[in-house]
Amino acid sequence: MAERAPIARSPISPAPPVTVEYGWEISARRTSADLRIMDCTPLVKILVRASIDGGVARALEVPFGRAACDERGVLVVGSGPGEWLLLAPPGAGTETVRRVEEVRDREIVSILDVTHGRALVRISGEEAVDLLAKVCGIDFSDEVTPDGTAFRSSVAKLTTDVVRDDQDGVRSYLLHCERSFGQYLFDSLHDAGDEFGIEIEGFAGSKALSQPG
Amino acid sequence: MILIPCPWCGPRNVSEFRYADEAKVRPDPNATTPERWRTYLYMRDNPAGWTTEKWFHRAGCRRYFTLERDTVSNAVRAAEASREV
Repeated sequence: MAERAPIARSPISPAPPVTVEYGWEISARRTSADLRIMDCTPLVKILVRASIDGGVARALEVPFGRAACDERGVLVVGSGPGEWLLLAPPGAGTETVRRVEEVRDREIVSILDVTHGRALVRISGEEAVDLLAKVCGIDFSDEVTPDGTAFRSSVAKLTTDVVRDDQDGVRSYLLHCERSFGQYLFDSLHDAGDEFGIEIEGFAGSKALSQPG
Repeated sequence: MILIPCPWCGPRNVSEFRYADEAKVRPDPNATTPERWRTYLYMRDNPAGWTTEKWFHRAGCRRYFTLERDTVSNAVRAAEASREV
């Protein structure tokens, strides 16, 4: 009997049709709706904790409260004081960890791959701001939270990392939470977006992360 | 609604925070007396008016900080980052 490769599953049930790509069971659904929600859990998620003013902080070049895509297509998110979340394409985990280890020198640093321990959802569309205003107390206007903003707050009463990561000029947000709350967050956002015509879009590596500019 | 001015995240709803006791100096356990240690552990001033407190931003930066709060009106002021846990 031939040996089969293990298949990773997101905590969020994929909408049919279902396929397997990048070693993950994902939805293959496509939509042309203006407001879309995508389960981006297959993206690599690396959690880095280090000194606020140390070598790793200088190398990552992203302060607390901001997010930026580096030249290799890794989205570096300043998710907390002395805390960064690195989002990379599927399969890039080892390389991403190695790059942080190279710059850490003698500094005490925690580098943890939380890819399978967290859930990640992307909401895209101009009405995403109205959707999020229903479930989160933060001001999502351009003046307060422009593109590249990152913060942690309560979303649908769930502690969530929120990153504004516009794509091709279209407003887009990444929402990151503990794995066990993934389905709840996804359903809450889907329900909140119902009045705006939100539709589910299956995971696509090319759409999940912004391309390096 | 009470807005708590987190020194890292800015003003946020109080529901994102956890109250973490009155701010007071922890005595050295090797040098203090049992009476002072007991007072530190169990006794609270609980004033009607301005008091200094520790708060924990559990749904945000996950940092402790000190805050002055009027326990009568719930007015708050002068938040500052605190290294003490």
